[in-house]
Parts: sequence; structure tokens; C-alpha cells
Amino acid sequence: MDIDIKNLHPLEIKVLLNYKGDEITAEQIDAQLGFGSQSNQIFSWLSGKGLIKEKSRTLRTIYELTELGSEYKTKGTPRERILRLLQAKGAMRLNEIATALQMENKDVGTAFGQLSKEGILSMDAEKKAEAKSFDPSGTMKTIRALLEKGKQIVEADLLEAEKKVMATISKKRGAAGAPFKIIEREDVVYEFTPEGLEAKKMLQDKGVTGDEIGVLTPDMLKKGDWKGKIFRSYNVNTPPARLIIGRHNPYTVFLDSIKDKLVSLGFEEYDGPLVETEFWNCDALFMPQFHAARDIHDVYHIKSPTMAKEIEEPYLDRVAEVHKNGWTTGSRGWGYEFDHNFTKRLILRSQGTALSAKQLHKANIPGKYFGIARCFRYDKVDATHLSDFYQTEGIVLGKDVNMKTLLGLLKMFAVEFAGATEVMYVPGYFPFTEPSVEIHVKHPVLGWIELGGAGIFRPEVTKPMDVDVPVLAWGIGIDRMALMSLGLNDLRELFSPDIENVRLRRSK
Amino acid sequence: MPKIEVSANALYKYMGKKVTGQEFIDLIQCAKAELDEEDGDVLKIELNDTNRPDLWSTAGFGRLLKLYLGGKIPEYPFFSRKGDIKDNGGREVHVDPSIKDIRPYEVCFMVKGKEGISDEGLKDIIQTQEKLCWNYGRKRKSIAMGVFRSDMLKFPLKYYAADPDNTKFAPLGFEEKMTLRQILEKHPKGIEFGHIIKDFPGYPYITDCEGNTLSMPPVINSNESGAVEVGDKNLVVEITGTDMPSLVLSASIVACDLYDSGFEVLPVKVVYPYDTPFGREVTIPYYFQEPVTVDVAYVNKLLGEKFTAEEAAQYCQKMGSRTKVDGDIITVYPPEYRNDFLHSVDAIEDIMIGRNLKNFIPEMPSDFTKGKISDESQFGRQIKNIMVGLGYQEMTYCYLGSAKDFIQKMNITPENVVQIANPMSENFEFVRPSVLPCLLNSESISSNAVYPHNIFEIGKIALINPEENYGVSTINSLGFLSADKDTTFNSLNSQITALFYYIGADYTLKEIEDPRFITGRCAEVISGGKEVGIMGEVNPVVLENWGIQVPCAACELNLDIILADTRK
Repeated sequence: MDIDIKNLHPLEIKVLLNYKGDEITAEQIDAQLGFGSQSNQIFSWLSGKGLIKEKSRTLRTIYELTELGSEYKTKGTPRERILRLLQAKGAMRLNEIATALQMENKDVGTAFGQLSKEGILSMDAEKKAEAKSFDPSGTMKTIRALLEKGKQIVEADLLEAEKKVMATISKKRGAAGAPFKIIEREDVVYEFTPEGLEAKKMLQDKGVTGDEIGVLTPDMLKKGDWKGKIFRSYNVNTPPARLIIGRHNPYTVFLDSIKDKLVSLGFEEYDGPLVETEFWNCDALFMPQFHAARDIHDVYHIKSPTMAKEIEEPYLDRVAEVHKNGWTTGSRGWGYEFDHNFTKRLILRSQGTALSAKQLHKANIPGKYFGIARCFRYDKVDATHLSDFYQTEGIVLGKDVNMKTLLGLLKMFAVEFAGATEVMYVPGYFPFTEPSVEIHVKHPVLGWIELGGAGIFRPEVTKPMDVDVPVLAWGIGIDRMALMSLGLNDLRELFSPDIENVRLRRSK
Repeated sequence: MPKIEVSANALYKYMGKKVTGQEFIDLIQCAKAELDEEDGDVLKIELNDTNRPDLWSTAGFGRLLKLYLGGKIPEYPFFSRKGDIKDNGGREVHVDPSIKDIRPYEVCFMVKGKEGISDEGLKDIIQTQEKLCWNYGRKRKSIAMGVFRSDMLKFPLKYYAADPDNTKFAPLGFEEKMTLRQILEKHPKGIEFGHIIKDFPGYPYITDCEGNTLSMPPVINSNESGAVEVGDKNLVVEITGTDMPSLVLSASIVACDLYDSGFEVLPVKVVYPYDTPFGREVTIPYYFQEPVTVDVAYVNKLLGEKFTAEEAAQYCQKMGSRTKVDGDIITVYPPEYRNDFLHSVDAIEDIMIGRNLKNFIPEMPSDFTKGKISDESQFGRQIKNIMVGLGYQEMTYCYLGSAKDFIQKMNITPENVVQIANPMSENFEFVRPSVLPCLLNSESISSNAVYPHNIFEIGKIALINPEENYGVSTINSLGFLSADKDTTFNSLNSQITALFYYIGADYTLKEIEDPRFITGRCAEVISGGKEVGIMGEVNPVVLENWGIQVPCAACELNLDIILADTRK
């Protein structure tokens, strides 16, 4: 067994240093080192470390003065009190004695019985107790002596006669009615093991005394007590306790890092309500009202209220015209009668692009905007689909932006967000952009993935919002990268309610 | 997005060339297509552009690939145009006024083959029909198509609204005759599509001049003429619906496909008793598309290139359009089978794809703009940092949930909670009205995690609010919950004090009753003279509802009001 004296408590050190180790008992160290009730604790530490072992064990009986015993000691035992009373008042009936001494009749009876047996009292013709002598009997003297011996009496210290008397006035259980309680105790004698002796030697060699400073207290610093003393060495490998700390959620940290990157690239953040109108969610994006993606099975409708009170003008009029005949956008429109009630219908925002549409009429030119928007989809929830999730989208407005600058922007995103080494652009389709592209990137871990889609907003989308410059619109999918960065593979885990799970999560 | 299955060999025939592997994957990008799966000769292709129904068939898909590989723009001589109506050979469809308010339009043409239709050809035409009617025709609502054996029919055909109870025919797959209403009730297709016509007094019905039934569109063909088989040489294609341009385009797509596969196309004149966008007499196939013009300067502005008008026109042709160049102006004539040029930008995308995206060199945008996160995000970050400093773990939750979690377990009434009218499941039927149920849900499933539990979230909640234009307020909310044996109102209040100190705002508490909290240990948080939130010890009734056996104290604050106040 390895002995590491650094693991020893100062009290253990003292025990090891102060004894030869052939025979030590708790009593001994209590008396000599003044450890009080800690002795047994120290023995248990030392034997736990294998430095001491039990040598012998003997049973010992102790008599402890009870509350009643203490009362007997000060006020006198019933026999003593009766005798004193009769000496003062002369012969009395038993019930008179009980009244005078405020004692129970039966206790007076018991004492009278004992006294008459000892030949001290007798009953006269008037049924009065009468004393023959006022000298206490031998038994009474022994009891008085026992009461005066102190709080605890060790059986071994008693004479045979005392032992006999003690047996009549002590109880193991229910001792409240007796002057003494019997306590049985085991005396254990310990000895040092060879390891204990070796530890003792190591302590001596190193000059460790057990008086080294343990915890450095403010008081020591105030008084300067530490000066000239040695600090106890700690075991630096002792495992520390676990701490529960306050922490950011790794997923929001990831989202914030995306935000910070976009801000560093000159983008300003926008946001909006969870409940949107069909108008901003789709109509303003030139998605015809009969579009397949606007089906009841693709968008969540609000039960009540079902409609917005109004849609901002002049945008509603213009968008309605755009759908009908293109308005002044140069488009022929979708050629159908725009439904002014349908457009007011309230839904849960299904695409982040709704926020881009709303931003257009407030946007600066040149301007760059982005949003990380919570969106809702009519999807069965599983490892790759959620009913609500974040979409990352943005727009770039400028006189000179074009398809090539869009590709440049996407390439920068590919490097910044995916650490991509290669990118590939392919034609894409979105109802609100034309031309449209998709960007695929070679992610260092995930391989080729589709990073996102982008395009130039259709004039049918921008002109009604008073925007006459090209607007690049883009959306990037960051969830797969988020999962990878958090070491997860199930989208539901991003929104985990499990506290321990989230506490233990680290981001790469 | 439609997915089609094509035979690779049939496709190569249409393309005039065999292209495989990565080269094929790259090539089909011009059609915004992806190869989903390859299984022997069968290719499963996903097509992303919902405005290009012409690509949803082997013939149409192959046609674009052939063009993109340098093929010539095909001629389709059978199309009638304004001022150039082809001979219909006496074939006519007479539309009856009775159908006008039910399903007003019908178009029709005939094809004749030297050889009968092949197994592959038949499969392809059925697939085209399905994709057209499903994806483009909104599940037959606006477009429904039928193909018939013309040998069994005699022109002119008649399209009218028939009496549902006194008209009988044997629908496809059935021998016995049933009334139209019975078919809607009994035939599988009647059950599936009957809702489109069920409530009309008469049902759309097509017969030949001798009264032989073709079909009851958009539901089912007749069992006799409607069961086309391999080897049939002469076919009639008829399409009914609600939007004339979509019908005519659909007819054009199918006609071009059949023509490309070797059939001769024979026009049919459809005669209406009322106006259509193309007149009262329309000879099908009919070219109605309008040309779009685009200035090459606009092309170059959007694409960031310096193309000449001729170059741009050339790229456009590669995608199938004929063009005419006049100075800087390019006129683009959409191909017979396309009608997706709504704006000149649609032509510009064709030019981009025709040029091939690989040839565009990315450039960085040169405008300087100032980046900024929103005030709400900035404020949220400030608060998150304080909460973390207070020992709280940040959580992120879904916003949708059930009545059980958001209402019943919380011991509240539902009047302010936003409910979804068409939920997918009752587990996701409500938008959360508070962050607290999410926090309690966490606590309820985390009793094994080492205590104390201090958790928070900053996120959005929604509440019905009649004063808002949308009738609903979205609020940026901070919710936090502390669960531990020693958690009390006072320990929570200490944390709120610290939070407000670092926000730089004052607050007071006003005792209120709220069923979520213990009475006498619950208070409104008031800051800047406004009610900004609630705090208190969570009601044991609520804890029991969640199965939580540790005392919890919780607080929720409206960050929008506090932010507006601190910015004053």
C-alpha cells in the first residue's frame, strides 16, 4: 500500500507521532492529547487508511446518574427524607408523610417497607410510622456514597458490596425511574500496523508535526499567526466536488456567432412577429394565392382571430395589382382576381423571407439586412423535421449588385459559415427570385452539402415596396452545421428541455 | 416539387445522346433537376421549378437536355396561332352553355401513330397526365386530363353539364352502368375527386355525337373509350378545367411530347357559346404565348456581364426560345410548351442558365454598409450575461405545444392563448403564451439532474391582444425558474434585484393573485410605472400537475417594455 502522508489529518499525525503504537485507546488520547469526542473519529480514519488495527476489545459497564439520581443526591432519597421528617415532626401516618413530602403514596409505602425491613421504622397502634433510630442503615449509606461518586461510575471501581446495592438501584432501560442508568461500553485497544509505523517514520523524517497550518483563515492573516509556521501540504490529486454553473446554451451561442459574423460583414438585423398575414408571408413575395405551398396542409392558420384588421397601404393595392396584371413592374402578373380577404388571413410565419418582404420599404440603399427567424412548418416532427425552427435569411440592396456579386457573397458565406474549400452554384427555383441559384459547398466534415438558396428578388416583389434597385435575397441552412458543432445528430436535440443534457453539452 | 421516373434509354433517345454519371448530374442542372435515385434503367428525377410543367415527362425533359447540348429548336407545325388557324379536318367539340359556371373550359386534340403506342410511351403519358393534373392542376381542381381511343368515338364531341341522377355510364374498371351521383359515392376516384363537382346541379360530362360517354371530368373516364392500351394508334386527348391558358398550355405540352415520340398531331376546334381569353372558337393546339422583350443593358445589369444582344439571344435559344434582336432589344418568343415568362427577368434567368453558371466569376459587393444586431438582441445578450452570472443555465425551447402543457397543467384559462386552427397533432396545437410552461416541463423531466436547477430562456411568446392589428402580440420574454429545496420567494427576489440593478432599472413588487403561484407569495413586477412581469413561488397544484417534487420559484418579464423604458 502506498502511504501518502499528505492525506493525513493533523490529528492523525499527532496520534502517530505521540505513541509508540503498541497500545492506544480513545481514553488515552482523550486525556493526553485533549481531543475529546473526536478520538473515535480519528481511529476510524486511521484504520480506514490501514495505519492502525484493533488489538483487543473489552466490555465495560458504567453507571450514569439519571435526573432522578441527581435529585436524590441534592434532596435526598425517599428513605432519607422520611427519616428526616419523622425526626423533626415525630410519628406520622403514611398519607400524612406523602402530603408533607409531596410524594406519591406508593413511593412512601415502598420506602416505609424498606425502612421497616431494615428495622429502623415500625407501625404504632395509631397506624403511625415511628422511628426506632434515626441512623441510616448500611444500605442507605452505600447509596449515599454512590450518589456522591460523580456523574459516571465505572463498575470495576466498585466494591463487591457497592456492586450489590448498585444492582438494585440501576436500570438498563426505562432508567428514568431509577437513580442510575446502566451503560455498557466496549473498550477497544489499537496498535499501529507496519504501515502506521512507516508513516510515523516518514512524518518524523520530514519534520511534520501536525501543527502545520491547514486552512488559512482571515484571523491568521489579521493577527499574523501564520508567520514562521509551515503550511500543511495538500494532495493536489484529490477529486474536487462538481460545480453547477450558470451557462449560455450552446445552440444560441452558435446562432449568436452567425449573427456576429453577418454583422461583421455589414448586415443589420431585423425581426418580426410570429403571427403573420398571408400578405407578408406570401402575397408580397409574388406567390400566387393558388400556389401549392399555400395549401391548408402547408401553413398553420390561427383559429381566432382569423384575420388582420388591415394591410398597410399602398402596398396592399399595389401587390393586388401585381398579382392581377403586373401593375407597373413590367410583369404580366398571374392574371387572377386577388382575394382581399384571403390576404388578411393570419398564419404562423412559414418562411423567414416574410421579414425580408417587410423590410424592403424601410430599407436603406445601399443596405444589407438579415434575420434569424423562428418559422413554423406543417411537418411531422422527427430527427430531420421540426414544427418550429430557425431560418437564416437576408437581403442586399444596391445600385450595382448583380448575379456575380450574389455569387461572391455566397462564396464568402461558404467560407465563413461552413469553412468550405470548394463551392458550386446551380440554377435554383424560388417563387420570389429570378434568376435563382443554389449553393452547394464542400464542408470539411460533412462533405458536399446544400448551404442555401439565393437570387435576385423579382421586380414584382421590390417595385410595390418602392425599391427600384436590384435586391439580392439569400437564405442559408445552418442547422446541419449547428448539429455538427454541438456533436448532435437529431434536430430535436437543439431544443432539448433536458437540463442535465443541456448542462453537459459542449460546443466544438 | 414533382418527381418523375424516366427510362434512361428512352431519355437518351430524346436527348440524341447518352450522357451518364457526373456529367449527367451536371447537365440536368439546366433543368433545375436533381437525380434522386438510379435503379437500372429507371432514373428518379426531382424537378424544382414549379413553373415548368413541360419538364415533367421523359419527352419534355429530354427535349431541354438535347437543346442544352446544342440541339436545334424543334418545329411543331401543327400549332394554330392568331391569324393562322390550322385545318381541324372537321373535328370539333361543342361546349354547352350549361357548363359555364361549373367547369367552363375544355380543350382537345387528336393524335395518329404509324405504330401503336409503346408500353413506355403509355407509361410516360400517364405520368405526364398525373403530374400535370396534380402539381400544375392543383389535384385536378383546375386541370383534369383524359386520353381516349379515338376509333371508338365520332366527332363532334359534346361537353355539357349532365343530370347527376338520370345520366348513366360504366366508369373505368367497372362493367355495370351507374348514375353520375352513384359514381361519386362508390368509385374510388369518385370518392377521391368527387368533392370538386359534388355540389353543382349538373356534373361535367363529355360524349361523342352518338352519345357514347368519354368521361365525367375531373373524376373518371368511361370504361369503353377511356381504357387506352399498348398498341392503340389513334388517341384523343381532352382537358377540362377552370383556367383557359393553363388548359391550352397543358394541351400544347402533351401534343409536343406525343409529336416528339412519333405521333402526328391532328387539331380539334373547340366551339364555345361564351367568351374565352382566346375567342369563342379555339383550335387546339394553340400558341397563345406573348413574346417578352428585354434590353441587353438590363441583362448585363442583373447578371453583371457585358454580353452583346446577340450573345444574350444565343444563350436564350439554348433554353428553347426563339429570339429576334433589334439593336439592344432582344425579343424572346417562348417555346410552344412554355408559358413561364412573366417578366423579362424570366428571360434573363434563361440567359444565365444558357451561359452556364460555371462561367460567372464571383465578385464581392462593393457597397459599404454598417452592420448591427437589433436592439432587442443586444438587450437580450446583456440580460443573458447577467442571468449566467446569477448561476442560470440558458435553455432553448420549441414554441408550439399542447393544451395540456400550456393551459391545463399551468392552471390557467385559455382565452389569451393563440390556437392553431389546423394543427397536425394535438401536441403542437398552441403557440406558447409564456416561457414558464417550457421551464416547468424541463424541471419535470430533470429530477435526476443535480440540484439546484436554475434555468432561463429569452425567447418569443404570443398572446391574443384585440388592440393589435394582427389581434396577437409577439413579445420578447425572459423566463427563469429556480428549483431547489431552499428556493423561496425571497431568494428569487434577490436575483430579480440583482438583475434590475445591472439592467439599470428600478422595480417594485405588488402582491397579486395568480393561479400559477402560491397566494400571498406572488407579485406583479412593476418598472417605469408599468407592469412588466410576474414572479413568485409556483403553486403546488401546478407542481403536482407537472409531477415536480421540488419547490420552484419563477419569474417572467416582458423585455420589450423594459427595453423601451431603459432607452428613454
